[in-house]
Amino acid sequence: MQRWMRNLAAALLGLACVIAVGSATAQKTVNLTFRFNDTEEKEMRAALDEFEKRNPGIKVALQRIGWRDARDQYLREAAAGQGPDVVHVAQVWVKEMGDAGALLPLNDLMKQAPLPNAGGFNDFVARELAQNKQGQIFGLPWTTDTWAMVYRTDVLKEAGITKLPDTWAELHDASAQITKRTGKAGFGFPAGGSASGAIWFLANYYWWSNGKAMVVQKPDGSYGMNLTAADIADSMRYFKSFLTEGHNPTSNLSASDAHDPAILQALVTGKQGIGTMPPNTYKQVLETYAAANPGKPLPFVSGPFPKGSVTRTSNIGGRMLGINVNSKNPAEAWKLVEYLASEPIFTKYYTTQFPAQTSLLKKVDFGKEMQGFAEQLGYARTWGPYSDGPAPIGAMWNATGRAFSAALSGQRTEQQAAEELLDNVAKLMKTRGQ
Amino acid sequence: MLAPALVILAAFYAYPTLQNLALSFTDLSLLRLKRGGNWVGLDNYREFLASPDFGHILFNTVIWLTALSVVLRLLIGLGMALLLHSPVLRRMRLSTVAKLAILVPWATPPIVAVVIWRWMLDAQNGIVNAVLLRLGIVDNPVAFLANLRTVWPSIVTIIVWNTVPLVALSLLASLQSIPDELNEAAALDGASRWQQFRHITLPFLVPTITVLTLMSVFWTFNNFVYVWLATGAGPGTYTNVLATEVYIKAFVDFRVGYSSAVGMVMALIMAIFGVVYYRLVAPRELASSL
Repeated sequence: MQRWMRNLAAALLGLACVIAVGSATAQKTVNLTFRFNDTEEKEMRAALDEFEKRNPGIKVALQRIGWRDARDQYLREAAAGQGPDVVHVAQVWVKEMGDAGALLPLNDLMKQAPLPNAGGFNDFVARELAQNKQGQIFGLPWTTDTWAMVYRTDVLKEAGITKLPDTWAELHDASAQITKRTGKAGFGFPAGGSASGAIWFLANYYWWSNGKAMVVQKPDGSYGMNLTAADIADSMRYFKSFLTEGHNPTSNLSASDAHDPAILQALVTGKQGIGTMPPNTYKQVLETYAAANPGKPLPFVSGPFPKGSVTRTSNIGGRMLGINVNSKNPAEAWKLVEYLASEPIFTKYYTTQFPAQTSLLKKVDFGKEMQGFAEQLGYARTWGPYSDGPAPIGAMWNATGRAFSAALSGQRTEQQAAEELLDNVAKLMKTRGQ
Repeated sequence: MLAPALVILAAFYAYPTLQNLALSFTDLSLLRLKRGGNWVGLDNYREFLASPDFGHILFNTVIWLTALSVVLRLLIGLGMALLLHSPVLRRMRLSTVAKLAILVPWATPPIVAVVIWRWMLDAQNGIVNAVLLRLGIVDNPVAFLANLRTVWPSIVTIIVWNTVPLVALSLLASLQSIPDELNEAAALDGASRWQQFRHITLPFLVPTITVLTLMSVFWTFNNFVYVWLATGAGPGTYTNVLATEVYIKAFVDFRVGYSSAVGMVMALIMAIFGVVYYRLVAPRELASSL
């Protein structure tokens, strides 16, 4: 009996030890959540697996969400004390999220565990979008890019076009010529007005190239608009002409994103001659074509945006990584952010994106098809006064998308839509977007 | 006995409603949730009711989204119920198959229904355009959800397709409760099919139709999913309705206070409709059917 009791006691003691050791190990494990908005979920998971191997005490759950809902969902969660530890955000959202108290200032973390790359934070592009006027840094620039034009060389050839369009007028003519001579779509761009719509970029490139801008900083340091209703209506008429003349299918009125499947499919299958998109989307087009046509040369070329009366331009865009102000493990979250911004991520896992570090960007081999993007980067500008000014970029973006969609669909005349947009932006500038 | 119900009602209905009412008098922004909003009195209500979009949004909500789709749902549902109840299908032994078939749209979640229809109506790859082109009805593909002339009929089609089975099955249940002797006696007295329907069938269906109308109006008027998923309230703001306006203002423009005011206006409209319907229409219809 005594022996039986001794055995039972020993077994219970052993079990208690196992539980204690297990629970101690569990206590040591830090669980992080990373919310990622791009489509490369599998690749990112592989990158996180590598991170977990290097950091045995940290586990990272990957959440995938679309860009369209990412901004407002995160703001709601952060306000309620919830949300992922590390969040993937557009560069232009960072300051407003930081000022809203949703992102943790990274200054202290950067001091405690400095960035390993030479040059530190100064090596990153778009730093002005990451910090507020008080010098608080709310995001680490992660990727950078700019949009460029994309052409199907075989469709251009079929239409008898021998040189890439150099001006907005030439782009219009080339688009019309493709449709007239081949029956295919010319410049098929997303013309819808939903949140984060692509027409915002095209409208701004058109305005900037003609010496105009929605937001400018005046010599006295205040901010104002350098656009009239006539300027806006003119740009609306230009883009609407592609739809009314039939070079851009009217179905694109319900497409808002550069990566809309209908547009990408039309480019891949050669039903459309011209498009515009960021480089990661273009890489997906190239990969899809290559997979569907093994061994065939890629019938694509990229080129810079057309010139206006002043210049040709686009914006330096990209994404950042931020840490949730509610994160219980900011040090570990920072470790993850540093890892995600390191070189192997861009060479091994997240290969559709360009790094936001100048030193890494210099090493990128753009390749023949991507040359237009490399050239366009030389013309690209920052959002500058848009991000420093009184109106949140996101709110102006949404208002512009809705106004263009109303004009392009015929719901409003160009003049009506332009005046409404002007009024809305003026209100936003006055009220700081409420 | 009533206490638990009252607690639940207070927690899940009264508190959110009062909270929403309070927010509607502020300028709360999604970017300032932690700091809260400033008191602006009736400014949000004034701005919304005086907005040039108010009439357009109200028309879209009341006429296109609610009235048209509810009427079509009831008419088509009634037609389907009569067909399912007819001896023709029973003779052909198709009655059970037909009943199961009409359950398919009802069993399809609205999000899936909209996605299916978006693909079917797609200008480039949709089957609807393929058929129309093949039959020579159109020369060029129609962008149903992007064209101002076709976008509302397309949305109404999606709503009716997805929701008509409930109406059909509810009316079928009412039809099956009508004693056969009534129609047989009427037929012996020389009543035509139409007279039997008008004076026997329809009065029996009125209570069900009355309840279905009320429920359908509430569901449809407040519905956000169909319009948002099908068009995102576009092109432009052409298909914007009250429910999508609430969402756009709160989560696209970040104006939570203003959005709450729009939500309160919605609730008020439905409350007025409910009171009028119960006081005027429903009692008369119910009384006349007895």
